[in-house]
Amino acid sequence: MKELDLLKKDWQKNNAFEQVSEGEIYKMLHTKSSSIVKWIFIISMLEILLWSFISIFFNTDDYFKNTKFDAFNVYFEALTYFNYGVIFVFIYLFYENYVNISATVSTKQLMKDILKTRKTVQCYVWYNLGMVAVSLIIGFFIAFTYNPEVIVLRDKIASNGKVMAITIGILILTIAVFLSVFWLFYRLLYGILLRKLYANYSELKKIDL
Amino acid sequence: MSDDLEQSFVQQLKTNQNIIHKICRLYTNGEDAHKDLFQEITIQLWKAFPKFRGDSKFSTWAYRVALNTAITLYRKSTRSVKTVDYESQQFFISQEDYNYEEEERLKLMYKAVYQLNDIEKALIFMYLEDKDYGEISETLGISEVNARVKMNRIKGKLKKILNP
Repeated sequence: MKELDLLKKDWQKNNAFEQVSEGEIYKMLHTKSSSIVKWIFIISMLEILLWSFISIFFNTDDYFKNTKFDAFNVYFEALTYFNYGVIFVFIYLFYENYVNISATVSTKQLMKDILKTRKTVQCYVWYNLGMVAVSLIIGFFIAFTYNPEVIVLRDKIASNGKVMAITIGILILTIAVFLSVFWLFYRLLYGILLRKLYANYSELKKIDL
Repeated sequence: MSDDLEQSFVQQLKTNQNIIHKICRLYTNGEDAHKDLFQEITIQLWKAFPKFRGDSKFSTWAYRVALNTAITLYRKSTRSVKTVDYESQQFFISQEDYNYEEEERLKLMYKAVYQLNDIEKALIFMYLEDKDYGEISETLGISEVNARVKMNRIKGKLKKILNP
């Protein structure tokens, strides 16, 4: 077939491809991890936005005005700012992890960075869960100690041991339910990404013999 | 240890990268698709690299893994690949051998090759790379006889496309 010979000649002559450099090849080998870490960073930002958005609608100021103890407003504000501070530190760490992983050129360093990222995310999730538990406990404490509407109930409970046990049980249950909802939320949000990241790590480990 | 392995891989890939570029040329249209496939093949080669014992040449091994990757991806993406944007292909005809009639024939020929299916493309690719049937059968995992039969069928198919 004459045409096929013509094609073959042309095919072998045409090798003017834009050459890929070593640096670019290294980058290709690592892009998978860096794109996952980029998503962790983006999702953490979105999550902050979500919480801020929700807190606009649920203003706690009025609630505290109802209670006899105004100073709680100040404490609560301090706690909120502290919380935002810690979360911004985490966002910075996520960003730093992303930059590190994008720039890594060696597998060893990449594996280290992946483990570090996983640890950061795990700390972040535990911190948030702890914060939820602490806020709930403080919230219940304030309600039972200072909220005038609840004080009547409190006096009733104090005089009856059985009711007190049931109330405490309900409170613990509420905290447990809240924690598991948040835990599920984080598992869905970050769990999938972390698992992908870990799969990537295992793959790298197989190569690292 | 791992960094040495990686370095050796990157070195060999860099030297042999035209193999991948050529496969990309055959299986994709447009610059972005070319780059995507190049990266995917690179990742697959890297994953398979620990199993590469060096008992065959890096290039022979790379042909096999790269073609398999291209075929698998080609099958996964039903979009874009079936209708090939022929005009976006670059054929790098150099000025001094510019020959209008020959160029027209070449264009038609390339167009015909793009209409082949994934496996046929793999065979024609090996043929264009001037590999003998022994190497074609080894790379594609089919028998030599089968490779010959398939190649003849492809030639027939190309003729039919050129002279409908």
